Amino acid sequence: MWIYEKKLQYPVKIKNPNPELAQIIISQLGGPDGELAASMRYLHQRYSCPYDKITGILTDIGTEELAHLEIIAAILYQLTRNLSEEQIAKSPFATYFVDHTTGLYPVAASGVPFDMKYVGIKGDILTDLNEDLAADAAIPQAQPLSKNRRTPL
Amino acid sequence: MIDFAIVETVLYLDAYPNSSAALSYYHKLVSERKKLAESLARIGKPITNMDNTDTDNWNWTNGPWPWQPEAN
Repeated sequence: MWIYEKKLQYPVKIKNPNPELAQIIISQLGGPDGELAASMRYLHQRYSCPYDKITGILTDIGTEELAHLEIIAAILYQLTRNLSEEQIAKSPFATYFVDHTTGLYPVAASGVPFDMKYVGIKGDILTDLNEDLAADAAIPQAQPLSKNRRTPL
Repeated sequence: MIDFAIVETVLYLDAYPNSSAALSYYHKLVSERKKLAESLARIGKPITNMDNTDTDNWNWTNGPWPWQPEAN
């Protein structure tokens, strides 16, 4: 079960609002490689896991991803405070704003709402762990390729 | 910040439960954290809704909430 601790896992204190940045960072909230996807992935894979040790790891990482979800939300909350109408209208954030104002709604930067289709859960631990490798390796995928060689993970 | 260290140590111990170095580091962090949490609860800033020691007031829902800049 979960207990809530009333603090962020890592502090967030943003001086200047920035709707352009919010428009991109929101993918970490509700996008395919974001924290909501990660927490749902790990927390649901653990039920069918036959090894206690791995179940423990999936539980603890999944819980930490929920904490990360909160950090991203804090970042987005602070990036979208006290915006003028003009700031909003001129930024790519305007299309999000029309449906959600400055509420936090998990979407990808493309505007696609969070979808459980981003998460693979097959009930077989090797398959599920491969899904985890693919998902967590999504970060290096954003690195530029040099001379057609992938940077080793 | 101590919680960050604890989470990482827990994950390490999940994968390497036989590391006595990690285990004693874990206990050192946890006892330090216990003292910190207790002192916070005493001054009316409980971390969870289960460690309120104030018998006259219920402060749990008081702001600021963690995503607000004043709380960081």
